[in-house]
Amino acid sequence: MVDQLASVNRAPLAQSGSDVPRRPLAARRRGKTARKYAHLWFVLPGLLFFCLFMIYPAISGFAISLTAWTGVGNDFHFIGLQNFVTALTSWPLYRAAWHNLIMFVAILIFQHTVGLFIAVQLNAKPRFMEVYRTILFLPVIISLVSTGFIWTLMLSPNIGVINPLLQSMGLGFLAHSWLSDPHLALPTVIAVQCWNVLGWAIIIYLAGLQSIPEELVQAAEMDGANGWQRFWRVVFPLLSPSFTSLTVLTFIGQFRVFDIVYVLTGPIGSPNFETDVLGTLIYRSAFGGSSMSSNDVRMSYAIAIALIVFVAMAVVSTILIRVLRRREIDA
Amino acid sequence: MTMTVAAIPHRKPRSRKQDRRAASFARHLLLIAVSIIILLPIGYMILASFKSVADFFGNPYGLPTDWAFDNYTRAWTDAHVSITLPNTIIVTLCSVAGSTFLASLIAFGLSRKERPLAIGLYTLFVSGLLVPVQMIILPLFILLKQLGLFGTLFALILPYIALGLPLGVLVLTPIAAAIPRDLVSAAQVDGATEWQIYRRVVLPLLKPGLISVAILNGVWMWNEFFIPLIVAFRPQAQTMPVGIVSFIGVYSTEWGLVFASVVISTIPIVVAYLLMTRQFQSGLTAGALKG
Repeated sequence: MVDQLASVNRAPLAQSGSDVPRRPLAARRRGKTARKYAHLWFVLPGLLFFCLFMIYPAISGFAISLTAWTGVGNDFHFIGLQNFVTALTSWPLYRAAWHNLIMFVAILIFQHTVGLFIAVQLNAKPRFMEVYRTILFLPVIISLVSTGFIWTLMLSPNIGVINPLLQSMGLGFLAHSWLSDPHLALPTVIAVQCWNVLGWAIIIYLAGLQSIPEELVQAAEMDGANGWQRFWRVVFPLLSPSFTSLTVLTFIGQFRVFDIVYVLTGPIGSPNFETDVLGTLIYRSAFGGSSMSSNDVRMSYAIAIALIVFVAMAVVSTILIRVLRRREIDA
Repeated sequence: MTMTVAAIPHRKPRSRKQDRRAASFARHLLLIAVSIIILLPIGYMILASFKSVADFFGNPYGLPTDWAFDNYTRAWTDAHVSITLPNTIIVTLCSVAGSTFLASLIAFGLSRKERPLAIGLYTLFVSGLLVPVQMIILPLFILLKQLGLFGTLFALILPYIALGLPLGVLVLTPIAAAIPRDLVSAAQVDGATEWQIYRRVVLPLLKPGLISVAILNGVWMWNEFFIPLIVAFRPQAQTMPVGIVSFIGVYSTEWGLVFASVVISTIPIVVAYLLMTRQFQSGLTAGALKG
């Protein structure tokens, strides 16, 4: 497929590129226009893919969201913005968004404290630094589905290892059915995600730390700044680009989270929707879930929610980037 | 935080040797502890993949009493790994190759900003990064059905190629734009066609970027769960992550098989990571930061 497209591409280019000067004026002018647009031949094959599998679905998705289509059948009658109104006035949307927000804030704090601290330790270049870094980044490579299974196993009350481990340390009272206790399910999902995303914080902060010129830290030292002051007054402000990137990355990641929740607590965000997030809500609205009556399952409604989330995320991340960038300049 | 403080004057060799020793010891202790927290669950899962059903309940931690190697042989047949593993490899390789190649063409085409439409098209491609999969997946589902691609690997490969483009364009276009004009003009004077310039001059210079893009897209394509969950129902068209999840629905107690499948699905990407640790770390970070 790809090769075909490429060879289609090659022919007109060969004409437009070579022996232009020898042709008569009209042809030369045509050649000139062809040459002016020649670069578009390179864009075309990718653009076709992009239009067919991205732009077209996005536009038709918007069109579908304005109808009452359920996902099966041909009832495409136009209902305007009703799906959007229903979505925005239904509380499951806010409940799910609230869970996303909790996850975002918790993981953000974790990344900027634990992640930064470990990055600082690695930046001191201890022996085996490469080994540590390789290990700590490993979970980022592992899929969220695999992460979910690993931790389902670790946390399971029947076959897991966490509870027996706590019991053997005399901490049996801390043993819980982690993923089915309504109070613990969400914190547990967050903890599992921390395990998975720690590598990002370490790599991003480490890159930031390594780009700081040593002279600056030394100069501060000569001026009599102690270690604490050197870190917070000199090093940390210089890390603000890393801070921005990591914050935005975490924001996008946490508001799009789906796989790991699906694997750990299922498409209905059990127990009792305590771990329901926007991703699972959209999935359920489109394809159903055990607790949904068939009235609630509407493809058009699901797309409407996805659109709302998309717009909200685009707005918030733009603001986030703008605010954080301004902070970088000040610093 | 005291450790941080002690860590900074590391390069002053005269300052209190004992303190430095203690700090370095504490640092190693911490890093080893964190490494264990990262590695332990992975190791435990590998052990679990060799356990029989009885072992899971009778002997939750500790080595398997009798190593159930047949978890793997049975995963290969019963959990359809024999189908989904080659599927995952084919889908990832084709999509990475297609997407990286097309993105490099686009990057070359758009690298000269003064050309008509260059900036507009670049913005169009890059804004694709913002589009969440959830928004396009349902129309995509319908489209793939109409195209008759359902049940084939093309139902995954073609969308993956398109979804990989924004990142590829984002990473590669600046690199292509930074190639000195003189190089291109020299080739033009020598009578090279645009294709030849792309092939002989630009492509070799894009190589580090191409590796980044390939890793970046390869990792998510290998691990992608949501798209195949929606568009691939049967093992014949599934990749491993979804294959494992749908297998669970069928035999919910066969944990040994599940973990054997998870281990198989994880090995290739971890091996690739260990072989090219540096490229993975820098490639993924660069992509994440720009995204």
